[in-house]
Amino acid sequence: MPLKAGLKKVLIIGSGPIVIGQACEFDYSGTQACKALKKEGLEVILVNSNPATIMTDPEIASKVYIEPLKPAYLEKIIEIEKPQAIIPTLGGQTALNLALELYHQGILKKHNVQLLGATPEVIKAAEDRELFRNILDQVGAKYPESFMVRTYERGLQVAEQLGFPLILRPNYTLGGGGGGIAYSPDEYQKMLVQALHESPTTEVLVEASILGWKEFELEVMRDSGGTFVVICSIENLDPCGVHTGDSITVAPQQTLNDREYQAMRDEACLIVNAVGVETGVQIFNLRYIRRLVSESSLK
Amino acid sequence: MKAYLVLETGEIYSGTWDGGVPRAGEVVFNTSHSGYEEIATDPSYYSQIVVMTAPMQGNYSVDNSVWESGKIWIEGFICLEIQNSVRDSDWIERLAKAEIPVVSEIDTRNLVMRLRSGGTPWGALLTANTEAEAKHLAIGLIAQKKKISKDWVHSVSRTKSEIREGDLPIGPKVAVLDFGCKENILRELSKWSSELKIFNSRTPASEILAYKPGALMLTNGPGDPADVQIAQRTVQELVGQLPIFGICMGHQILALALGAQTYKLKFGHRGSNHPIKDDLLKKIYVTSQNHGYAVRRESLPQDVSVTQVNLNDQTVAGFCDPKKKILGIQYHPEACPGPHEAQALFGYFFERIV
Repeated sequence: MPLKAGLKKVLIIGSGPIVIGQACEFDYSGTQACKALKKEGLEVILVNSNPATIMTDPEIASKVYIEPLKPAYLEKIIEIEKPQAIIPTLGGQTALNLALELYHQGILKKHNVQLLGATPEVIKAAEDRELFRNILDQVGAKYPESFMVRTYERGLQVAEQLGFPLILRPNYTLGGGGGGIAYSPDEYQKMLVQALHESPTTEVLVEASILGWKEFELEVMRDSGGTFVVICSIENLDPCGVHTGDSITVAPQQTLNDREYQAMRDEACLIVNAVGVETGVQIFNLRYIRRLVSESSLK
Repeated sequence: MKAYLVLETGEIYSGTWDGGVPRAGEVVFNTSHSGYEEIATDPSYYSQIVVMTAPMQGNYSVDNSVWESGKIWIEGFICLEIQNSVRDSDWIERLAKAEIPVVSEIDTRNLVMRLRSGGTPWGALLTANTEAEAKHLAIGLIAQKKKISKDWVHSVSRTKSEIREGDLPIGPKVAVLDFGCKENILRELSKWSSELKIFNSRTPASEILAYKPGALMLTNGPGDPADVQIAQRTVQELVGQLPIFGICMGHQILALALGAQTYKLKFGHRGSNHPIKDDLLKKIYVTSQNHGYAVRRESLPQDVSVTQVNLNDQTVAGFCDPKKKILGIQYHPEACPGPHEAQALFGYFFERIV
């Protein structure tokens, strides 16, 4: 992939404090990106609120800003540095959300800054559960029955329809914060209030339970030319219900035969193509998919 | 008694004997993570001992519906670890029942490095009390095995022709020249044809033309394409008379029929993770591969263009001549095991070439 013409200075957004869902892997990917971009002759500006990272070491980026990861601070940095582009794909959810905010507030347009690696449409499609569900329907992928809930009353109706246990997934939260599994109406009502509160858009996906199913992940990459590769497949030793962050995982997956594995790979390819990744300097889109296989279908 | 793999070049590796009887064959390696059952039943592995680079084998049990032919063709199965527990030992039992030697706990990384740097020699899997005894036994086994006919394709080809119904009543009849055909090539062809007739590798052109097919498929198969008898001449006669699609061995025979040459690759391409640049589908994708020989690029006629290239070593992975209506593909668009992206080539052949 050739370097994009006219690109001299890029801004990388770090992931901020280390929390579940945004651990040190983002420090690592950001550091590697700084090195790779500098090697290509680019000036790399880095912003991160967390000074306890490798990427903020003086020799890693061309210039480092240790500032809060908020739109106002980012705008100030953009004004001073005037980068041609921002790479939001190296700082986890924090950077993606921040990039989306910059886009919505018109800051990107105002300063003529491009987003590389992911467009607002892609970030939305990958992070907005309802949009993502439409994509799954489009490619014929199956998923557990679920409803998007925006009010407490609607939440109660949905629970009656789906039965217990239920899974709550608030939109746009770090590592699924504010979500969880509710086993009883009592528990559910309390969790629903909390989940609606935690989601910045007051949206919670309420899902039928798939507790005890097998859990797999695929790390895949696609470029603007449609080249698709699976970086690795991963199998969780613990079944669904144990958070991936708490689970032992094995790569590559071990208990799917080739037919099952290729079916999962094909579906991942269709989904990633449907989400669409727009071109950038470095076309890098990392996402994972969990495919669930019920115990009964195993020998 | 210990289990040994002895290479004809003198190297010796010890491991654990997990069943089967002593056998010899060409020692090759495969880098697929899944698909051990498809690999073992693929006739292209005739006379070969397969070393799997993925450390754990037999881990998802067995399934008759994924077999690529009616029997297990490999001469031996080598891996680091094989599932052999009370709960599941189906794969190991299946190999043992077919009298295929299984040796595990061999340092497969070390062995594969040896195969990559020095090529793929013949070897034998056996049990012995000492290394000296193992070497002595191996020499006999390898010498015995090398006496088999050099036309490996003919050894695995169907002796009687076979007719199968296709799924597409309005589609053409397709003649298949069986060089060691994988089932999934036939499954894929069925989707595009009204009927398939599968012929022995030495069938003369006149017999194929008498069937009045709309297209000819040259399948995958084992061994050195230059050792295959008669088929090259048959294909030579049919080029220009029928649209021809060659896969793997079929691709190599097609090239030979056009006057090109083939050569032995140092250690071959075997696995489900080989990148290809495809100028026909205008894509780069990952493919399933299994071949020890390749077509020499500069020996191809001028009007035949190389349309697919292996990105690992830039070898010829496919060629096409729309005027002569021929398409040769070195890798496996039928997959099984492996990724499905190249399946579109069947569509390309039937929609754009036939």
